Amino acid sequence: MTVETAAAKEETRPEPNIGRSWHVVLPPLCYLAVGVAMVAYTRAVPLDSIESGSLDLPFVLRRTWEHIRLVFFSTVLVLAVALPLGVLLTRRALRRATPLVLSLVNLGQAIPSVGMVVLLAVLFQIGFWTAVAALFAYSLLPTLRNTMVGIEQVDPRLVDAGRGIGMSAAGVLFKVELPMAAPVILSGVRTTLVLNVGTAGIAAFIGAGGLGDLITAGVSTQRNLVLVTGCVLIAVLALLLDWLGGLAQRLLSPKGLS
Amino acid sequence: MNLWEYVGERWDLIVFETVQHASMVAQCVLIAAVLGVLIGVATYRRPRPSALATAVAGVLFTIPSLAMLGLLIPPLGLGVAPSVTAIVLYALLPIIRNTVVGLRGVDPLLVDAARGLGMSRGRSLTRVELPLAWPVILTGIRVATQLAMGIGAVAAYVSGPGLGEQIFSGLARLGGANAVNATLTGTLGVAILALLFDGFFVLLGRFTTPGGRLGGARA
Repeated sequence: MTVETAAAKEETRPEPNIGRSWHVVLPPLCYLAVGVAMVAYTRAVPLDSIESGSLDLPFVLRRTWEHIRLVFFSTVLVLAVALPLGVLLTRRALRRATPLVLSLVNLGQAIPSVGMVVLLAVLFQIGFWTAVAALFAYSLLPTLRNTMVGIEQVDPRLVDAGRGIGMSAAGVLFKVELPMAAPVILSGVRTTLVLNVGTAGIAAFIGAGGLGDLITAGVSTQRNLVLVTGCVLIAVLALLLDWLGGLAQRLLSPKGLS
Repeated sequence: MNLWEYVGERWDLIVFETVQHASMVAQCVLIAAVLGVLIGVATYRRPRPSALATAVAGVLFTIPSLAMLGLLIPPLGLGVAPSVTAIVLYALLPIIRNTVVGLRGVDPLLVDAARGLGMSRGRSLTRVELPLAWPVILTGIRVATQLAMGIGAVAAYVSGPGLGEQIFSGLARLGGANAVNATLTGTLGVAILALLFDGFFVLLGRFTTPGGRLGGARA
């Protein structure tokens, strides 16, 4: 139990401090400003034909949209699979399997993201949905792991108390276990989200589009401006989504728990 | 050709790439550990600098590795330099954070006792605080090593050394005879290396944890 709790603590990333409201929106505004400045810069400097092809505004916006779609579909899939699976694996009947599953999950995390993406592409085919599958497989683990660890670390006495005042098993799950585990679970979801933004960049290698396209185009045509634009936009997207995740972590965790 | 034949035929190359990968990760983590612990030690008593150090490392950490590697190409070119720089930057966050958390978690009574015995600040740090915080710091180094393994694989895209080359050569031969074998070799190779390193850290933890803490809070 102590090890699991320590692991859970490790996994809980610091949340944005909501002291004053402008403190919350300051970081995302900075990130957005960097992104806008980057795009504005590419508008302002003279471009050669290759650069203007890759930095054309509709083209960049389309790539950004593809990137967001990759992240969206894979994250939704992870939520749909990892949350029920995590809950299921921590029920009493399956509780014995929990340490085993957790160590399998830890084993799985040793697989490099780029290996997962390329492997699915060489085994099946290149394209958008293969990339979504790779992103899903790679980013499933943090959410699954944190769901299990989060529910595991709920004080069993509270579960007992819940049953004692006449709550059904489902009632205890939804009114006691899940709310208590929410900070840890949401922290896992946030990790999944950020991992997905990064791995979606790698998905450009297997023809899934996204902002990684700008990076590969920049490297293969030796146009640093294209390369840097792609990198900056991916970084901005990751930081923005991480901030959103942190906000969700803050707002969806039960008040008074920390 | 199956995987075993593929690996057997290219045994020398694969061993070379594996050793390269392991040595790159080990060296980067070593640099990051020294830097991270120094930054942690320098800031853990002051809330503002340590919050700043953690925030900066956190932002760097959130930037995806491919984007970071790409940003390092213009100033550093292709090859070893951007790979090593990126890996060290990523490895810093868990180490700094755990150093600060570990040092802050040391019972102030013990520090007080050390000072009371006549130990100087530095002596109390090296003889009392760091040994007590070591298990937490080691966990940070362990997390950093796992990260470094994965980023090392991506680094092959900027011509970095290591097993990532197998993965990218699989990608380059997409649909060809050995695409699956090359990709599997690279992916499994990195995963196995990561597990070996992790096992090493578990053993290291067993042997370097101060006696009184064994079987204590951190199993």
